[in-house]
Amino acid sequence: MAKLYKVGTPEQQEYLHDYNFAPKGYAFFEPGIYGNDAKEFVAFNIAKSFYQVYPEVFNLAYIEKSTGIKSEEAKKRLKRLYDEKYMMLVKNSCVGVMGFGLYYWVVKLKKGTTPEQRKELTDWFQENDQICTGYMMEEGGDFDYYNGNHMRNLDNLIYGVLDKFRFREYVEYVHLTPVRRLIRESSVNQFDAKKDFRHYFFAKEAVKKAVALKKGMDEKDFALLEAINNAPSAAEMFDYDVLAKLSGLDATEMKKDLVHIVDETKTVIPMVYLDYRRLGIKQRFFLVSLFENTQSYRSEQIADELAEDPRFVNFFDFGDAHHNYMLSIYDELTDAEDIRQKLLGYAEVKEVKEALSPRQFRRWTARLDAENGLYEECVFTDDVLLDRSEEK
Amino acid sequence: MKINEARPYVVKNLPYALNPRSIAVVGASRYPSKVGNKVVYELQKWGYKGKIYPVNPRADQVLGLKAYHTLSDIPDEIDLVFVAVPAHLVNSIVHEAVKIKAKMLVIATSAFKEIGRGELQNDITEYCREHELPLIGPNLVGMGSPYMHFNCGFIPYLPVPGPIAMISQSGANLLAALGTSQEENLGMSFFVGLGNKADVDFSEFIEYAEADPHTNVLSIYIEGLDSPEAFVKSCKKCTKPIVVIKVGRSQIGVKAAFAHTASENPETDEYYDSIIKEAGAIRVTTWQEFLDVSLALGYQPTLKGDNVVMITNGGGAGLLSCDHFERLGMPLHELKDISPLLAARIRAYMPMFGSPLNPVDISGTASVIQYKGAFQQALRDPKVDGVLGAICPTAVTDVLGVAKAAIEVYESTKELGKPFLMICQGGAECAEAIKLLREHGIPAYKTAEQAVNAMVALRKAAKK
Repeated sequence: MAKLYKVGTPEQQEYLHDYNFAPKGYAFFEPGIYGNDAKEFVAFNIAKSFYQVYPEVFNLAYIEKSTGIKSEEAKKRLKRLYDEKYMMLVKNSCVGVMGFGLYYWVVKLKKGTTPEQRKELTDWFQENDQICTGYMMEEGGDFDYYNGNHMRNLDNLIYGVLDKFRFREYVEYVHLTPVRRLIRESSVNQFDAKKDFRHYFFAKEAVKKAVALKKGMDEKDFALLEAINNAPSAAEMFDYDVLAKLSGLDATEMKKDLVHIVDETKTVIPMVYLDYRRLGIKQRFFLVSLFENTQSYRSEQIADELAEDPRFVNFFDFGDAHHNYMLSIYDELTDAEDIRQKLLGYAEVKEVKEALSPRQFRRWTARLDAENGLYEECVFTDDVLLDRSEEK
Repeated sequence: MKINEARPYVVKNLPYALNPRSIAVVGASRYPSKVGNKVVYELQKWGYKGKIYPVNPRADQVLGLKAYHTLSDIPDEIDLVFVAVPAHLVNSIVHEAVKIKAKMLVIATSAFKEIGRGELQNDITEYCREHELPLIGPNLVGMGSPYMHFNCGFIPYLPVPGPIAMISQSGANLLAALGTSQEENLGMSFFVGLGNKADVDFSEFIEYAEADPHTNVLSIYIEGLDSPEAFVKSCKKCTKPIVVIKVGRSQIGVKAAFAHTASENPETDEYYDSIIKEAGAIRVTTWQEFLDVSLALGYQPTLKGDNVVMITNGGGAGLLSCDHFERLGMPLHELKDISPLLAARIRAYMPMFGSPLNPVDISGTASVIQYKGAFQQALRDPKVDGVLGAICPTAVTDVLGVAKAAIEVYESTKELGKPFLMICQGGAECAEAIKLLREHGIPAYKTAEQAVNAMVALRKAAKK
């Protein structure tokens, strides 16, 4: 019989082992937690600042070995993928460990919202530096936006962000969906995935379909992204000698530091992001609500089962929300009906809402709006020491 | 890093730091909240006439200007490369700056020797020296000149134009001085933050300032003097007065200086005192004194002798002053000893209860006409080397009228080459008078001690 994690028994402790994740620290004061500009991050920071011009910051020897693509060709391809805005080197810090809560929220607009009103709100979300990740949905779906913030607490979110738009006449509702487990984002398993930490999922079948779309990426391009993202460790991801040459810092020290925070402490995930908007495809989001009487452990077991499916691009597991999961797939590359049936196949599932997203605003604070001339502008807001409930 | 004397190639290139024809701002951001954006913004805002080239690998445009992904992409000669990126990116940019044959490199970036990355800072410095590319910084706020409409750094405003060259290791103190300049008419010829002072040294800016036509005085804030020989040599060559404030005198101050600008102070303060004396510079202790003395030395001729006459309508200001003169080793002489005839003549400008001693107390009822006459008589007397005026705002004192009279007298006696300072101790009308006097080149102060400090410094400068 499966574990029930019964309160008052040793199984309760097992629940904590299975589903209790990183401690929530106060910013960078928790022992072992480092700020974004700490020396432990320096290898990533150098790569992030130079890959646009020097793609050789990536480990081309490793890439060649794992894909067969020669270094010179890989360099050219990586440069093109950046220049044409298909990819961006990004990192996700484990916000829970860094001292923030991860609060997402779903926005539904009223029927009759005009295109001008929709655009005004879209622009506001795009411009708002507090919103570190956000997705715009096509009109006609079950909801219209799905955005997220890293913030100190709920009051800061409510006063600092939500109150600034949610009372507009055309907003029907804003549902808070605080993230209990961050399982997968942009096809990469995140900190709270049960297994395969940092693994990049992009099935061969999906690659074939994406290539067939003829939107500027071929098999080799996808292979490059996969090789970088699925580097066995941070040690293989970058060429530390190149980083040392560019920075004047010590290669061995930089490698040791990055391996420590990526592979050993698992507090940050560096990866190459694929912008689906540039690829001309959409993400279909599924907002899943379980029946209210579903046990916590069962909710997490379902999450773990779904997380086995490589077709999901994003997977958020919520706590203290009306809804339980937000999942997404690439609509053009995946059989949406099959996914829908899979979700509805769980007796615990009460409802599944859907919406199609043609555009993401930012990828972990890095702007994706090339049309505004701000591609890759990164703004990491930090409200740990602020009480934003005083904002009017 | 230590040098033995100012290097000619550095001095020759320093004009590119303050009057470049073209600037590449590396790290120019598209976001107004970021430092790299501010640098470009302030250059534009204050009317820099040269060419600005933002460099940012992610941007195509910054503040309406075409942005370049690397320095090498810029299709023009670059005089000045201003670097505002994180420390770990600097090394590569330095190599590129050498490659494009830039004339001057300024690194605003922090997080070098002051946080333990001494080796990286030294490597970069040595590379620059090997290729004769002068490097200012790292860890600085910027530089500029109101005469060139040049505000290069994350600096909110330019100072008013004037004769003071402000050379500071501390960015915060530099900004404080710029604020004072705006508020209290402390005119500057140029200003520069040296930060960690890895390469370009005080001595080289001293030689630059000596040649600068707008500079009358060099005001130098020092946290660490790692090239004392070079400092002494350049100071001795300099014909203009030099005011120095050297911090890091206290035990914890030595540590704070290292944490701030990686400045090392291995010697005792007495050692640095002797170096500054040997250099012929004037050492001051407090920031206020630094500004006060700089103002006087910038705007006024030196005091050729110690026959100073003080004219006041308040006995209290006079007493504070004469005590302070004596404390500083330059006591006032009685007026009859300086010039018996002046003592007699000046009686005409005071009531019978006034005092012609020195300080000359023309009394609280003194009118504008009495002030004007007393000032004129004193300045015109060949035995008098300098005049210190003081205004105390009694109910019958026309403070602004007296200030205007002082300006009139000063303008008509300038050719005599005698310093003329003023004290205006009081409320709003005195603050207004101080501003007005300063606008016309008369150093005016809120307190007696400030003015006396300035007068004594003028005497020290004359003895250099």
